[in-house]
Amino acid sequence: MNGRPEQFSVRPNELLVERLRDGLGLTGTKVGCDTGQCGTCVVRLDGRSVKSCLVLTASAAGSEVATIEGETTRGGELSGLQEALRQEHGTQCGFCTPGMVMALGELVDSTAGGEAPTEPEIREWLTGNLCRCTGYHSVVRGVQRACAAARAEAPSGVGEPAAVTASTAAGQEV
Amino acid sequence: MTTVTGEAPATGNGVLGQPLDSREDPQLLRGEATYVADIDLPGTAHMAILGSPVAHAKILSIETKAAEQLPGVLKVATAADFTDVMPLPCIWIPGGVESHFPPHPYGLPGARPVLTGDTVRHVGDPIAVVVAETPRQATAALAAIAVEYEPLPVVTRADEALAEGAPQLHEAVPGNLNAYWTCGDKDRTDAAIAEAEVTVELDLVNQRTINSPIEPRGAVGDYNAATGEYTLYASTQGPHNHRFLLSALVLGIPFNKLRVIAPTVGGSFGTKGYLYPDMALVLLLSKALGRPVKWVDTRTGLMNSTVQGRDHRQHVTLAGTRDGRITAVRCTSYANLGAYPSTIGPGVATALMGRSISGMYDIDAAFCEVYAAFTNTVSLGAQRGSGRAEAAFLMERLVDRYASEIGMDPAAVRRKNLVPKEKFPYDNGLGWTYDSGNYQLNFDKAIELSGYADMPARKAEARTRGKRLGVGLATYVAICGVGPSTRMSQEGMLGGTWESANIRVHPTGEVTVIVGSASTGQSHGTVFAQVAADELGIDPDTVQVLEGDTQKAPYGQGTYGSRSYSMAAPAVALTARKIKSKLIRAGAVFLGVPEDKVVYEGGRVYEEGNEQNTKTFAELAMSMWYGWGLPAEIEPALDETTHFDPPDFNYPFGTHVAVVEIDELTGETEVVSYTAVDDAGHIGNPKIVLGQIEGSITHGLGQALMEAAVYDEQGLLVSADLTTYALPRAADVPFFTLDKTVTPSPHNPLGAKGAGEIATVPPAAAVVNAVVDALSDLGVQHIDMPLTPEKVWRRLRGEAQ
Ligand code: FES
Ligand code: FES
Repeated sequence: MNGRPEQFSVRPNELLVERLRDGLGLTGTKVGCDTGQCGTCVVRLDGRSVKSCLVLTASAAGSEVATIEGETTRGGELSGLQEALRQEHGTQCGFCTPGMVMALGELVDSTAGGEAPTEPEIREWLTGNLCRCTGYHSVVRGVQRACAAARAEAPSGVGEPAAVTASTAAGQEV
Repeated sequence: MTTVTGEAPATGNGVLGQPLDSREDPQLLRGEATYVADIDLPGTAHMAILGSPVAHAKILSIETKAAEQLPGVLKVATAADFTDVMPLPCIWIPGGVESHFPPHPYGLPGARPVLTGDTVRHVGDPIAVVVAETPRQATAALAAIAVEYEPLPVVTRADEALAEGAPQLHEAVPGNLNAYWTCGDKDRTDAAIAEAEVTVELDLVNQRTINSPIEPRGAVGDYNAATGEYTLYASTQGPHNHRFLLSALVLGIPFNKLRVIAPTVGGSFGTKGYLYPDMALVLLLSKALGRPVKWVDTRTGLMNSTVQGRDHRQHVTLAGTRDGRITAVRCTSYANLGAYPSTIGPGVATALMGRSISGMYDIDAAFCEVYAAFTNTVSLGAQRGSGRAEAAFLMERLVDRYASEIGMDPAAVRRKNLVPKEKFPYDNGLGWTYDSGNYQLNFDKAIELSGYADMPARKAEARTRGKRLGVGLATYVAICGVGPSTRMSQEGMLGGTWESANIRVHPTGEVTVIVGSASTGQSHGTVFAQVAADELGIDPDTVQVLEGDTQKAPYGQGTYGSRSYSMAAPAVALTARKIKSKLIRAGAVFLGVPEDKVVYEGGRVYEEGNEQNTKTFAELAMSMWYGWGLPAEIEPALDETTHFDPPDFNYPFGTHVAVVEIDELTGETEVVSYTAVDDAGHIGNPKIVLGQIEGSITHGLGQALMEAAVYDEQGLLVSADLTTYALPRAADVPFFTLDKTVTPSPHNPLGAKGAGEIATVPPAAAVVNAVVDALSDLGVQHIDMPLTPEKVWRRLRGEAQ
């Protein structure tokens, strides 16, 4: 669990999200629906983002679980993706945010040294995460910014950082 | 390019108006914010609610014994346990109408009981609660409660509920008519329509939609037996409002025995300002059990209990001349209030909708009548853009229908009828007086920016790809800044609607701003700090902002109707000005010069003509804290409060242009570009407002394209989770092209107008207009929302609505 071993026994029907929130007090992972649709509960299981409301705790035995709490230390410096989302104000009420960060982290990581994802690819990737506040625009811009920053930092030879697509004619003017 | 019309407010240090990063974001991005579901008080017990599985029935018996025996169960309660608790009141009864409500003991129009004991009126109507050691135990025990129902006939549509012989919901409300409300001049409008060269009519369904904030609601009640005090933690938009309503009007306890705390709230869009049974129940059960009691809703629970939005069936008429001059508009609307009048639902369905039906147009005669009816559905409430979105929809559909009838370009018709800028303040004849506007400028900018002139070429090009391109315009005026208390009382609002702020300057020069408003994701902490810092000429990083706890915050009504920046922020600015003027008076003493020689600038005072004789803000703060040498007429310390009640509302407005492409084969509608030019007056933080505009447009597109609360014949909500209720996802929307004009409101010291939800008002109309445009050569004159591929595909094949 976030790099630390955890040992406990579970009821067979316990969901991973219940273990995280109620059992381990890792309340950064949220519950927004009861049908696996909203994505607020996304964590990474062995590096892949999954909806923890659809995973039985028992089935995660032996796996590495990463939650939002593992992304930074408490109050600590933001990760590259979080920083990019902050700069683009990719969060409003913040309820969808931890799930978004966990889901998008996999995308940003997987494209770090290679091709930056296109706008439609980012939007496609995000279809498992619902956000009612932002309409996703600032989140998509945040991912573009994060990918650009990751590529700029990557060892030379991966090409120029991709430009952040402006969403508006007037940009921040609105 | 930004176009400013009118006077800019006096500027301080220039921090206001800057796109500062939201200071709330880092905590949210780290998942460290505490929402109500994250609150874990020692000894907490968990509550689950049994909602009715049927839409309309008499309850013959409720058997709870079996549930009480189950492991972990602490208490099972029904209506019989709360006979001394008053029903939850409705506090917005549309003004000047004959209205009928189920009664409340205080002479108020009561709404719903905390638990229903005799007759259930919608699926989800709460009947019983279980409190247990764990949430799972509480939920499991619900299944062991046996309820015997005698089914009653069901009605789910407002127009059908008003028909002869319809099922009756409330004994006190014969015929299900809660209110018949009108505004405007009926005779004049009827006459104008009768005499008109051209009239067009439409029958519109503004479908019911569900706000669906991503955080479901929740509440934690904590009763302290030693002090007799109650604390409620709740996902609320208005902690003070909830304190007032719950203490005085539901629980019957002294106001100062209830504290309400809003932790971080995960979105709301109107729904979390309402009073719900669970808020009272967690408090009552905490007292009964001597433990904190917590309840967190599920998504399906939310969909069956949290107020829903829109839901009008309308017959609308527009009259005009052959050359495009609109002479009259008339609307007859059947509004579906659901099973009970919600806290302010009846006002939303009438005044908020009816008084804005003429939009940005200068129309000689207008009239709106609303029949607000009870049905076996979830109670109606507000929803992002509420009332105003419904109004813009009918007007903007009518204008397109009219344009096509007289063979004129829809943009030209609109341009011709905009209220000219010399006519402000403009009385719209429906009860609102628009404060300020330059509609021509705004409209022209949107037309230009959208590339409207190129649409014919784009249409032809799209056809070569098997797509039909359509373009749709919509303009709007949104009433915001609710409000002037006296004015709201005339509208029937039972309560003041002012807003307040307190500023404390600490001895070390840092500042705390406390407001009565409460954020549901609008970065109040960032923006209110900007307002105070700008006025005082200090660094915004030294300004702390607190809100959301009735024990700490001055009274205020909360966040709704896009009012925080035009109601609470002016209270902050005015309070900062009080601090500043006190510092000028005290500065005269400290600097040893007459008051008229003291200059306050850049967060310090100095002697005019002798800048060496100066004191910084921090020095002043310390001196005021000590209070040494101050004359009797100047109190020591710096702690000021303002209650801001504006002279009138404010009226943001704008023009949106949607371009859609319809796939000829599948009927799928894609929004390929969207241009919006909104005018919210002076803006405090453009980065934050940008996010609100983008989110709002996406929400509006949701209503146009996919969202609908669907009730079946039995009154079952078929779309009760996120697999059956479609919300827009990231791939459903393109990036938008956005710009603004700036016409300051004269009704507050910041020149601000509402912004948060205004961009939700026109998108539905713009998109439907675009789709109708794309299908116009097939003779399509209207198509009901949501524009699902199947519906559009059928129209492509020439099938009727
Ligand atoms: S809570 Fe897991 S997807 Fe919604
Ligand atoms: S920020 Fe509120 S749901 Fe995404």
